[in-house]
Amino acid sequence: MADEQAPRPPAPPAAPSGPSGHSGPPSGGGHSGPPGRFGPGGPRPQGGPGGPGGRPGGPAKRGKRNFVRKKKVCRFCVDKSDYIDYKRAEILAPFLQERGKILPRRMTGTCSRHQRWLTVAIKRAQNIALLPFAAEL
Amino acid sequence: MEERQYELIFICRPDTPEPDVDKVISTIEHAATEKGAKIEKTEKWGRKRMAYRVQRLREGFYVFMVLRSSHGEVVKELERRLKVADPVMKYITVRVDEELKRQDKLKRHRERRAARRPRKTVPSAAAPAGPAPAPAAAGGSEPAAAAS
Repeated sequence: MADEQAPRPPAPPAAPSGPSGHSGPPSGGGHSGPPGRFGPGGPRPQGGPGGPGGRPGGPAKRGKRNFVRKKKVCRFCVDKSDYIDYKRAEILAPFLQERGKILPRRMTGTCSRHQRWLTVAIKRAQNIALLPFAAEL
Repeated sequence: MEERQYELIFICRPDTPEPDVDKVISTIEHAATEKGAKIEKTEKWGRKRMAYRVQRLREGFYVFMVLRSSHGEVVKELERRLKVADPVMKYITVRVDEELKRQDKLKRHRERRAARRPRKTVPSAAAPAGPAPAPAAAGGSEPAAAAS
């Protein structure tokens, strides 16, 4: 960490030195002024490194381990389905647990809209014995 | 009144002979037409394994019908008859017209969007004002578009 911070502060002043060079030529006071601006400018770039640091920190916060999590995509959005048919038990079955519970969205990645349709379809299918309410023993 | 579409599924006992199933179907069709409904489709799905036991049976003979009617009483009458019919174990009536309407709407929406998209990409400099209101109007199907 110390190594990271040490090289970075020099870098930001190097970038502003260009603008200071423009304002600098009229007077020496102008030249001394910019270093004063660097002071406030300094914290900002330091915040900047904090930002990039925060980005890796984001996933770390989720589990303190950096999983490369695959983004789950709603299957019905991929298929662009506008209607989930309750009569087709075979497409509804993957969204049930072994015991017959409806899987939550966080497990399947279904979008909220399709999950809403899906639950209705599953419940209809259950009523006509196309899908189980609960697994039989 | 607007016509409504219903889907009716009923399950007969698996040991009913086929003529008896046909008899049930014809009585249902008769009762429906008598009450002013139109039978759009009748399908015999045949013997299927049920997901759970009904009346201690694991299989059932599924029959599927689609009907249209502007009177809800038809459903009431049909369900009463199904309840009385001996071979019928289970039945369900689902009103589907609203969902079909929604499906239709979304489909048309998607097609319109698809038709618009190529135009948007070609004269990119000339038509920034044209595409701009489009996403706002198409807010409803945005999740689908984002996923595609």
